[in-house]
Amino acid sequence: MTVLDVRDLSVRFRMRGGREIAAVTEASFRLGPGECLALVGESGCGKSVLASALLGLLPGNARTEGSALLGDLDLLAADERTLARTVRGRRVGLVPQSPAAHLTPVRTVRSQLEETVRELTGVRGRVLRTAAEAAAERAAFPAGHLDRYPHQLSGGLAQRAATALALVGDAPLLLADEPTTGLDRDLVDRTVDELRRHADAGRALLMITHDLAAAQRIADRVAVMYAGRIVEVADATAFFGAPGPRHPYARGLLDALPERAFTPIPGMPPELGDLPEGCAFAARCPRAAAGCRAVPDLADGVACHHPHPAAEEASRA
Amino acid sequence: MGNRITRLRASGLVVAAVVLAVLVVPLAFPLDEQAVDLAAKLRQPGLSHPFGTDEVGRDLLLRCVYGLRVSLLVGVVAALVATVVGTAVGALAGALGGWADRALMRLVDLFSSVPHLLLGIFVVALFRPGVWPVIASVAVTHWLSTARIVRAEVLSLRTRPYIDAAVSGGASRWRVAVRHLLPGVLPQAGLAAVLMIPHAIWHESALSFLGLGLPTHQASLGNMVNSARGSLLAGDWWPTLFPGLFIIVPTLAVAGLAGAWRERLDPRRRSELTL
Amino acid sequence: MLELRGITAGYDPRDPVVRDVYLTVADGEAVGLLGPSGCGKSTLARVAALLHRPTAGTVVIDGEPARGWRHRAPREQRTAFGVVFQQPRQSADPRLRLRDLIAEPLRASGRSRAEAAARVGELAAAVGLSEELLARRPHEVSDGQLQRACLARALVPRPRWLICDEMTAMLDASTTAALVAVVEDYRRESGAGLLVVGHDAALLDRWCDRTVRWSTLVPNKEDASPRKAT
Repeated sequence: MTVLDVRDLSVRFRMRGGREIAAVTEASFRLGPGECLALVGESGCGKSVLASALLGLLPGNARTEGSALLGDLDLLAADERTLARTVRGRRVGLVPQSPAAHLTPVRTVRSQLEETVRELTGVRGRVLRTAAEAAAERAAFPAGHLDRYPHQLSGGLAQRAATALALVGDAPLLLADEPTTGLDRDLVDRTVDELRRHADAGRALLMITHDLAAAQRIADRVAVMYAGRIVEVADATAFFGAPGPRHPYARGLLDALPERAFTPIPGMPPELGDLPEGCAFAARCPRAAAGCRAVPDLADGVACHHPHPAAEEASRA
Repeated sequence: MGNRITRLRASGLVVAAVVLAVLVVPLAFPLDEQAVDLAAKLRQPGLSHPFGTDEVGRDLLLRCVYGLRVSLLVGVVAALVATVVGTAVGALAGALGGWADRALMRLVDLFSSVPHLLLGIFVVALFRPGVWPVIASVAVTHWLSTARIVRAEVLSLRTRPYIDAAVSGGASRWRVAVRHLLPGVLPQAGLAAVLMIPHAIWHESALSFLGLGLPTHQASLGNMVNSARGSLLAGDWWPTLFPGLFIIVPTLAVAGLAGAWRERLDPRRRSELTL
Repeated sequence: MLELRGITAGYDPRDPVVRDVYLTVADGEAVGLLGPSGCGKSTLARVAALLHRPTAGTVVIDGEPARGWRHRAPREQRTAFGVVFQQPRQSADPRLRLRDLIAEPLRASGRSRAEAAARVGELAAAVGLSEELLARRPHEVSDGQLQRACLARALVPRPRWLICDEMTAMLDASTTAALVAVVEDYRRESGAGLLVVGHDAALLDRWCDRTVRWSTLVPNKEDASPRKAT
């Protein structure tokens, strides 16, 4: 069963002077209920644009191609009215990047939760109060803090409040866009563990992050994005453990972690408005060869002409 | 979007035409302020006098252009003086902080507590009628908001880490102020100056209309509207209408340009007309 | 040796975020300061760089007490510190091209354009910025590229002490490793001391000679942030 089916999704921005920015190119992935897919990559690789595309929140100069099926609804083709009335909050819950900014500063958590519950479920009157408290409880937000204002909350509680809001509509798909940026490590762990809990409750979870440790902690599968393309989709256990990533870029990212080799990938990612011919990673790649002048297709979970061997090949060798 | 661009183009055209007219027309058609031709008084607009003539037979088109020239002079100079004073006071208050900030801002409060038209009238009353007292009067009453805007901007810029980085890099107070703080507030101050031009023009007209501004014989839009009151009651509309339009249309055009500039500075803030 | 002695500091004198903290960084040493966000460690970092006046305590630089804070500190004491902050966007003057941004400390101390250009070229190569990127303004580059420029700016006056306040918190793993490598090269070559403020234990343990936990610096932990509920 599939909750979200993204096929050949491309996003282009038309800039002044006729310049075009290839923010996302031919991204495809599927996401089932109870499954967590982590979309990882450096900042500026196009992963946040992909999230905006799924929510219909792209600016006016953006053009999309491909499809993103949520059930039988194509999110890319849907009009704003449909998205606002039936999709955001109801079929896709958004866990935002900076929860403190996502909450209205002048209203208590309770009043914001009650408003969202009323808006999404139509519950009114005395039941509303208990419904809002139940919604808070689902995100492990303590009832004793409901009457506080966002600035009176710690980062962790603000994140839970934002998650509670995202869960109200009981959406089958949760989209978390960099949910752990700027949080301390133990807070990161707690936040993603809670997200995992919601996935275990049957939701599909798409987590967009540059925090590899957070991805490793909760993801079932990992999609690696580089220069607007998904260059590898892999099972999380194989990706973070043995035999490791197959794409040289993904290997480089993991090797840069302080827990591992702590060595950077040489050079910097190319500009999305000025992508090189062929494989965009070739200029930084230790395995690059003449054949890399052609763009590699995503085949067998990796888009590379010279990938590292997959698990079964590795065990045979 | 198209609408906005049309409005911007129209504003630009009007402003360009006004500037061209006040620069070129006086070279080609000198105006004798004292000339009176009672035989030709209160002529309707026609071929020889496109805007008609006033109650002593003077050509209204020429006087409107000359009046506009005076108004623009007053508007631009007063706005510049007010902006320089306001920016200096605001930047000093924001950059120095402490008691200097408190003293300067109490001064601003003091000026603000007097209704500004009243204060303006007080200033012109101290001098003989003329262009400079009017400029002084408008400038004295209009630097306050600029000082407040600039101070707030400086205060917010001062806490940015890049100021910390400059201090740590060895930059002197002077260098921080001139290289990092001032360039940050100049767009805001410049915008305030342009927005002030229409306001200053209206003030000049208001003072002249009250008979307190420019000498009554001088061609000024305010004076012309004032002296046309009598003929308006008699049904002669043109001596009021044309000078009135000459006040309204150019000021709207300048405000339109300023609004477009403001949107460029901060697209989230929709342009609102502040006259 | 850089010594923080009995530092109490904050923004409201009745409720300081840093209370009576002692911390020492030896010449050439890399010290990590690990603490949760909002605990006051950034304030302490600003005090150490002479950018924030503490309400009590002193900073002693190679045996000489700091003679003032911010502009009141003599230029040679101020420029003995290079600082890099968490948010590159907030740390870069939006009007300056990266080339001028990096050269700013040299220009501020009256060095000639030619001398500044030579040193900028050297550092741009070290942090991996191309000529083309140096000609751009902050809004035309990525966070990672801008942070590279901010690091170059901190290194430009050849500081004796480098203070990195959550320098890599916004960056991906590869850019983090690259910037840390630049800092370490500088430290090895110059013998400068380093104070790294952060919340990532794995990073600080890997990077620094020793890591100090914030909770061990603050006499009474419960007092540190009484108004935040967790």
